[in-house]
Amino acid sequence: MSQPAMLPQGWEARWDHQSQQYVYIDQSTGRSQWEVPTQPSYPSNGVSAPSAPPAAPAPAPSSRPGRRQYPTAQIQQMYGGSGGGAGGYDQQSQQLPLMSNYPDQQQQQQPMAPQFFTPGIQDNTPHQGYPQQAGGPQQGYPGQQPQQQPLPPQQGGWQGQPPLQQGGGMDQMANQFQQMNMGQQPPNQAYGNQKQMHSMQTVNLIGMQPDVRGLEAPPPPFLIPQNAAVTQSPHSQPDPSYQRCTITSMPTTQSLLNKSKLPLALVIAPYRSIRPSDGDMEVPVVEDSVIARCRRCRAYINPFVTFIEGGNRWKCCMCGLSNEVPQLFDWDQREGKPADRWSRKELNHAVVEFIAPTEYMVRPPQPPVYAFCIDVSQQAIQSGMVATAARTILESLDTIPNADKRTKVAIIAVSSSLHFFSLTPGATEASMLVVSDLTDVFLPKPSDILVNLDESRAALESLLGRLSDMFADSHVVGTAMGSALTAAHQLIGKYGGKIIALTASLPTIGEGALKARDDPKLLGTNKESTLLNAANSFYKSFAIECSKQQVTVDMFLFSSSYTDVASLSCLPRYTAGQTYLYPGFNASKPEDAIKFATEFGKLLAMPIGLEAVIRVRATRGIRLSAFHGNFFTRSTDLLALPTVSQDQNYVIELQLEDDLKGPFVVIQTAVLHTTCYGERRIRVITHAMPVTDSIAELYASADQVAIMTYLTNKAVEKAMSSSLEDGRNLVTNNLSTMLTVYKNQVTSAAGASAQLAVPDNLKLLPLLACGLVKHVGLREGTNMSPDLRAYAHCLLTTLPSDSLVSYIHPRFYCLHNMPAEAGTIGEHGVILPPALNLTSERLERHGLFLIEDGQQMFLWVGHEAVPRLIQDVFDLPSYAELQGGKYTLPELDNPFSQRVNAIVAKTRELRRGIYRPHLYVVKSDAEPALRSWALSLLVEDRMDKMSSYAQYLTTVKNKVNGS
Amino acid sequence: MGGEGWLFLFAVLMAAVLLFTMVFFIIMFSDLECDYINPIDLCNKLNQFVLPEMIAHAFLTLLFLLSGQWLAFILNAPLVAFNVNKIMSKNHMYDATEIFRTLSGHKKESFIKLGFYLVSFFYYLYRMILALISGTSLRWLISLWSTLTASRE
Repeated sequence: MSQPAMLPQGWEARWDHQSQQYVYIDQSTGRSQWEVPTQPSYPSNGVSAPSAPPAAPAPAPSSRPGRRQYPTAQIQQMYGGSGGGAGGYDQQSQQLPLMSNYPDQQQQQQPMAPQFFTPGIQDNTPHQGYPQQAGGPQQGYPGQQPQQQPLPPQQGGWQGQPPLQQGGGMDQMANQFQQMNMGQQPPNQAYGNQKQMHSMQTVNLIGMQPDVRGLEAPPPPFLIPQNAAVTQSPHSQPDPSYQRCTITSMPTTQSLLNKSKLPLALVIAPYRSIRPSDGDMEVPVVEDSVIARCRRCRAYINPFVTFIEGGNRWKCCMCGLSNEVPQLFDWDQREGKPADRWSRKELNHAVVEFIAPTEYMVRPPQPPVYAFCIDVSQQAIQSGMVATAARTILESLDTIPNADKRTKVAIIAVSSSLHFFSLTPGATEASMLVVSDLTDVFLPKPSDILVNLDESRAALESLLGRLSDMFADSHVVGTAMGSALTAAHQLIGKYGGKIIALTASLPTIGEGALKARDDPKLLGTNKESTLLNAANSFYKSFAIECSKQQVTVDMFLFSSSYTDVASLSCLPRYTAGQTYLYPGFNASKPEDAIKFATEFGKLLAMPIGLEAVIRVRATRGIRLSAFHGNFFTRSTDLLALPTVSQDQNYVIELQLEDDLKGPFVVIQTAVLHTTCYGERRIRVITHAMPVTDSIAELYASADQVAIMTYLTNKAVEKAMSSSLEDGRNLVTNNLSTMLTVYKNQVTSAAGASAQLAVPDNLKLLPLLACGLVKHVGLREGTNMSPDLRAYAHCLLTTLPSDSLVSYIHPRFYCLHNMPAEAGTIGEHGVILPPALNLTSERLERHGLFLIEDGQQMFLWVGHEAVPRLIQDVFDLPSYAELQGGKYTLPELDNPFSQRVNAIVAKTRELRRGIYRPHLYVVKSDAEPALRSWALSLLVEDRMDKMSSYAQYLTTVKNKVNGS
Repeated sequence: MGGEGWLFLFAVLMAAVLLFTMVFFIIMFSDLECDYINPIDLCNKLNQFVLPEMIAHAFLTLLFLLSGQWLAFILNAPLVAFNVNKIMSKNHMYDATEIFRTLSGHKKESFIKLGFYLVSFFYYLYRMILALISGTSLRWLISLWSTLTASRE
């Protein structure tokens, strides 16, 4: 969705899903309103700058390239020459005989009569709200907005402009000029020929406080030509949480891309969770197994193909081949009558799932299989991990995906020997089988060890109930986890599935034995990166074996000391699993137990896709060059995932082999997987993006969040292969080369300048980069445990973009004087207070603050906090009584406590993923370790040797100026 | 035919074998790019040849050193050093998980080695012919034998 551009200074438009209209937010006061603002708003602190600082003027109108040639042809086709809008109808119905079969549709609105183009009703289209059409979105839904003054209908796309012009400023002048030029053309032609551009605004960053609220803004829209999609469905482009691109318009040539220094990469999370609370739509399913694919490039049919020869054939939008439309394409198999082609889901939705026929199966759909390898060494029993895990599995037996009663489960307990449990169907007790030969593991009675969940339910329940007690007097230190994993792999290899390993101690016995190699002398040196890589080759070769047999490994690590996360996380990395770390886990603390039980329970209940492959196809000329994420790359363009977990992110770098000729390109991700309900399905995600030959347009369409996701993956890769410092430098150098090109090529400012000019849509990139180089995973310093670093790397490379942003740049709220409505239930659940800049200047000695990054939450209590506040929130008489550390807030009977609790609960639910952040109470004058941990999240501050945001900007500016 | 002649005849044959190994590597890499082979099989197959290739090359270099063929030795020494460095840093084996990321580097390396073996093949051939023309030198053969036995003790 695009947002109306040209708002007055200081206003921001945000799309409101529930009411389907834009809400306008005054960025300085946080006030919001439905009406389009007309007066600029300036923050009271007076830092605000005019929209275009003199040193970095906005690009002159003349620098914009001329109108694009291509739409003329299509327009002519549409209108049959230069006729008006009305003439288009007849022409169109002649060209598409198929349409004339349904004459009644022509009376109706857009979705039914797709390829028509009528200026009068265009506002229902998904392409509304291009920068020049600010008034568009409101017009589409007049019924829902009684308070909105309906704008007078005009020809062309210029409604609603005049009232917005009052904001003033150079850019708007430029746009006005453009408009005047455009306005002289006949309206229809002006509309069709008009090159859709992102509005380009240059912002100076030096001396400005970044506006952190911009981090949640949607990426620049894909400004594809109006008639690129065959249906005018509002869902023809995917939600950015599924698929987004670092640049939302594609450069025509590789040399242009190289010149622009912008990274070109695709960020995808094809199996992201669906949260109705966020307004997510269920993925539409094409049930009749009519799958139209291009014969040559094997692309799936999508909203961007064109139908030719009277609708009998379709032209592939990637390779241009003309394909036959399948016979049953226009047939409703369920009703047994002709169906409307234009209502087919694959032509209306960018994200769609096909039910695959048997040709897409290597073998009949496998059942979901879960093998649990549970560490029962002394450490594990004492920390209470075994008891908590067993109880969680027991409670989750009903929620584990098991719709068709085929799910299989095995439990292996590991200490210095392997303990298998024979769970004979129908028996009520489990019998234990101990194998102590670790080199060549023998599986006693495999058919009784891996059992059907339903048939052996009774034995399973009794086993889980007493698992911890069975090993209560264990004195074994260290585990043979490597051997247990090999055994589990042998056990489930026939089916494939998931191994969930839970270990509280370092695997020191048997295969893949590890040593405590965390030599503190290595920290802070270039050799530190060896600690971030696998210690021995077992973990890589075993991961490959697992991937071959469709087995995923998930790692749960509960260390009180070093557990070599770097080596163990190798297994999840190449088998598409995930690593979870609970440092210093102790189940006697309710917070620890709840966190682990919640996350583990959610993981077990998660619907998984089995035996999956991901393939990305793109318009000819685009090549995939590198892949990042948790999977195994099986060939140059095929990613193998034994199981697809929800909410994992993959980054794919793109290159251009050939010059792109067409007006737009299409990129399609296809995930072939078996659902846990035994259905083979293909999830197809398609997006189209325009092609441009202008560097300015590339910069105006860059997506800062996607760029940051890409840079994070690259930096982590660099940190592991070379050194942490190289990883940090990669981020800073990439950022400064981008801004150098922007300064020289786009703003055409020469020589050194005291300003740091960035495009408006990238204005938070330096802040995110600053956050990344100070992140636990990349931070400079000698006191970071390699385990924490390795775990941070796992998260940095797998978190979906929106969670990643807050992981790099935490959110910071002030609770003691939040607005009155914060913490109360609003239209979309609990209202959060406005986010603050991450600087300790905002901390007040008498205040209560919340800092959270999606993995931890810190409740900061100032030491001069009034007793009333402490009483209200913590139910304690004074600040001195308050204990820092992990904390569960009491729910008290006063409005403030309820609001704080509501905010904490909302924050935990805010993001996709199974994580449940810990809440730490940090007293401002106690516990230096905890205090500095919390403060280290305030990334705009100076911290030890690491520079503050302002210093970081100066470094970048100096690099841009070439000194 | 004297010792020098035999030495270079052996070297020519060795260079030819190494040359073919490199051609094989390059073909396998292109197969991988065209998706005719999966990375796991590729790495299993190629890894069998990595160490033998390095050992063969190092052995040839050692022969040059012992026989006092300084120019040939100096020509080969950098590659030996490069190989030893790779083994020391434990990245001489192909890794199926990383292969696509490093494929271009591997290909480049194989091509450079191919060129190197080709050049050395012709150099050895030239030296062999030269040695054949100049005839045998008994004294040299004895000295080679004594150095060989001396090094063994």
